[in-house]
Amino acid sequence: MTQSIDIPPGTLDLLILRTLALRPAHGVGVADRIRVVSGGAFAAGPGSIFPALRRLEDSGYIRGRWGESENKRRARYYEITPEGQKQLEEKKRHWLQILAAVSSVLDQEA
Amino acid sequence: MSRLFHRIAHGARLQFRRERAEEDLREEIEACVDILADRKLAEGLDAAEARRQARMELEGPEQLKERVRDARAGATLDSILQDLRYAFRTLRRSPGLSAVAILTLALGIGLNTAIFGVLYAVVLEPLPYHQPERLALLWSSFEKLGTARAPMSGTLLKEILERSSALEGAGAIWVGTGTFTGDANPEQVKVASVTTNFLSLLGIQPQLGRLFTEEEAAGGRPAIVLSDALWRRRFAADPAIIGKGVAFSGRNLTVVGVLPPDFRLHFPADSNVPADVPAFTPFPNAIFKGPRTLYYLRVLVRMKPGVSPQDAQRDLDRVALEIRGAYTEFSAEKLTFHAIPMQGDAVREIRPVLTVLFAGSTLVIVVVCINVVNLLLARAGQRGKEMALRASLGASSSRIVRQLVTEGLVLCTAGFLGGIALGGLALRWFASTRPDQLARYRTATLDWQMLAYAGGISLAAALLFGLAPALEALKTNLVERLRDTRGGARSAAYGKLRAALITCEVSLGFLLLIAAGLLLQTLFHLRQERAGMDARNVLTFEVDLPGRQYPNDAARAAVVKRWEARLADLPGVSAVGGVSHLPLDDYPNWYGPYRLEGAEQNAGAALLADQRAITPGYFQAMGTRLLEGRHFEPLDQAQSRLVSIVDETLARAAWPGRGAVGQKINVERWQNGAFVPVWTEVVGVVEHIRHHGLATQLRGQVYLPYEQSSRPHLSYAVRAPGDPAHLAAAVRAELHKLDPDLALSKVRPMQAYIDKARAPADLTAKLAAVFALFTLLLTALGVHGVIDYSVSRRMPEMGIRMALGASHADVRKLVFREGLQPAVFGVALGMAASLAGAKWLASLTYGVSPFDPATYATAFTVVAITALIGCWRPARKAAGANPAEIIRNE
Repeated sequence: MTQSIDIPPGTLDLLILRTLALRPAHGVGVADRIRVVSGGAFAAGPGSIFPALRRLEDSGYIRGRWGESENKRRARYYEITPEGQKQLEEKKRHWLQILAAVSSVLDQEA
Repeated sequence: MSRLFHRIAHGARLQFRRERAEEDLREEIEACVDILADRKLAEGLDAAEARRQARMELEGPEQLKERVRDARAGATLDSILQDLRYAFRTLRRSPGLSAVAILTLALGIGLNTAIFGVLYAVVLEPLPYHQPERLALLWSSFEKLGTARAPMSGTLLKEILERSSALEGAGAIWVGTGTFTGDANPEQVKVASVTTNFLSLLGIQPQLGRLFTEEEAAGGRPAIVLSDALWRRRFAADPAIIGKGVAFSGRNLTVVGVLPPDFRLHFPADSNVPADVPAFTPFPNAIFKGPRTLYYLRVLVRMKPGVSPQDAQRDLDRVALEIRGAYTEFSAEKLTFHAIPMQGDAVREIRPVLTVLFAGSTLVIVVVCINVVNLLLARAGQRGKEMALRASLGASSSRIVRQLVTEGLVLCTAGFLGGIALGGLALRWFASTRPDQLARYRTATLDWQMLAYAGGISLAAALLFGLAPALEALKTNLVERLRDTRGGARSAAYGKLRAALITCEVSLGFLLLIAAGLLLQTLFHLRQERAGMDARNVLTFEVDLPGRQYPNDAARAAVVKRWEARLADLPGVSAVGGVSHLPLDDYPNWYGPYRLEGAEQNAGAALLADQRAITPGYFQAMGTRLLEGRHFEPLDQAQSRLVSIVDETLARAAWPGRGAVGQKINVERWQNGAFVPVWTEVVGVVEHIRHHGLATQLRGQVYLPYEQSSRPHLSYAVRAPGDPAHLAAAVRAELHKLDPDLALSKVRPMQAYIDKARAPADLTAKLAAVFALFTLLLTALGVHGVIDYSVSRRMPEMGIRMALGASHADVRKLVFREGLQPAVFGVALGMAASLAGAKWLASLTYGVSPFDPATYATAFTVVAITALIGCWRPARKAAGANPAEIIRNE
């Protein structure tokens, strides 16, 4: 198993939005998917996922509604809103810019 | 009504939403636990263990909920409201502590804000003129004068204007009196003689008409500019007044302008230019051609743009050098000039007073804060378990800090509201005392600067109040605190912090006590010291003798003598006298050179004395003691031998060890509208009258008989038993019979002048005493709080000590030692501070050394007693410990 690393500050929202853009999920599902998709690199526990979900919901980027889980459990599912979609695009572009900038500096160094 | 309904509905909706959100959160987390538990079950764990591990993975559902609440944007408001509700509950739970905290805060903030308000309005706010930073007052200085602040002669001013390159312009002013006549109601007012550019130099605009022009200078078109107040009172705010003629002191002047309502002159008191001058008129004579050594002009200059006061001073030093080179007498007198920025000069007398008061009230607010922090720390000690419980229930540390800061904010908001209410009252009282030095401070309003200031200190205090206990609350180990029933290991740290606070408090209290002690003694000295007169039972008033009715010296002398006789005949009057310059009055001083027999005839080397023209009854009316020789008599007439009376200061300086009576002295007398030097024979010596201030003995005094030196400006003093105010009506009626055109002004008891001169010392001493008492009370409270807390925690120890044979006295001693130790440190610190500040305080004291040992001893005793009082009850409590009971309880 890959060594898990801390999620860089400010990127958790981006990861959650990206996850929910694919399909709606409940809190535990979001955490699972971030772990799986990042190859186990990012371990976002429920302790950080839940506050982030509520914050995103309060900002209107995602919407929560009660549904039924795979195991016929009641669970709160979140889906991305059009504003959330826009926010995701923006954050993604911003992140890629940072990435490009940081990489070019690092490359120059080498 | 509908609005109220709407608001209730809105509130209910909010509450409903909040509850729904909370319910949602609970369910969602429960659901998560279920989902995770399902997985654990699938991995083969039993049901109970699966749920336990699921909960652990969520890092504790309660803590998680708290974190979610913290994170939610909309929740901030919720939790603030929650904090507020909680804070109110906490404060209500200990009403005594809260009341003491809020009350002392309100007092501290109120005092400090009020004094800041006055300081701001009087000292800090820029003067209400155009580019006031370019305005300066110009003083001349001679070696012999003993003051660096002498007025200017016209010739000197002309020389300066011709030679200086730093000045854009210079104007001069001299304030005397004049009388409006021409109707049934003659009125004597102060009138400023000014150069025609004086008012425009200030950069003000008239509300009606215009200011003076060049054509109105020296003997040109006669013109007058009125103040708003005079225009409203005497001319019924007639907008058509411009261009009309008014009869004024025997001349017919054209009103050319009316000044704006808020116009005031902001000159220092020693310039004899009062703030409210009702009328301005150009100098009737060509001032630039006057005698070189007639120093009477108060000079205002406007520096060129970009020229700093230091630049101007350097330029004036050069000018003075040139002038000393050109005139031998100025060279002999070591003439120099001083340009003092107007803003600072206007408040030079009151600034030290206000600064000391502001420093004092700042110390008070610091002590208040220390005390409140102390109280809160004591409570935080008791609340340690509460905090630990909240932390273990999932409150983040930032949340706990916020809670404590909210409590501080609630306290300080209450203190702030109480403070501005008290501050407003204090200001109203301040404005009602209206000391002259606070001319700039006339309105008892709380303006935004003061509100901002009060808000700033309240906020700072709130942060302090919240953070001090919070730091303590967070520093310590949670588990240990929950286990410990009393607060255990933390008590030592608390004790040290609080002892340090007591030390601060005591040192500040000691400092304030020293200041109050010195200032009260100053006031006492000012009250005790003889001002060279007995002001009780003396009524004074001023008359103006217009040149038209009283064209020459003889005519003036004749009516003055007649009036004096009539006034002396009034029932109850025991003495009446006239004087050209009443002591402690703001009429420009009359002083001039004097020479003694045998001294060489060199004007530059002349000595200076204050001069007054008096009538024979003056000294008896004022209660001034005759030390040698005789008073003036009716026989000292214009044509008879010229005589003079000198004061003890001059007599000692001029003829040390010899009798003054019979000596010859050369002084300038007023004759036919000019100063004429004459030889006079000294016939008497009187005690020194403090003309310039109760604490100042500036220079010697020479008195001439009014018959021989009849200055047109005259004040009367009338002595009669009982309240002098009762005499006023009779005096007015009598003089009106003699001359219906004669205007009386400033009809007031001599005591009023004394009170006014004493007002700043009075104010500082009284406020300093209030500050000191307040601080002492706080110190006693503070010591009591700390020691009481420590004793109640150490009761078992006391019990054990007594079980092992310690006596009640031993235990009491133990407690007193604990309380007195920080107090002793505090006194030492306070003493160091007050010794360091002594020089500064010395400018405000009179008749007492700033190192006065008696004051220090008293302050030490009072502080020690205060600390003892603070320890008293805890010591008794400790001595009353019942060993058996305490040990049983452990």
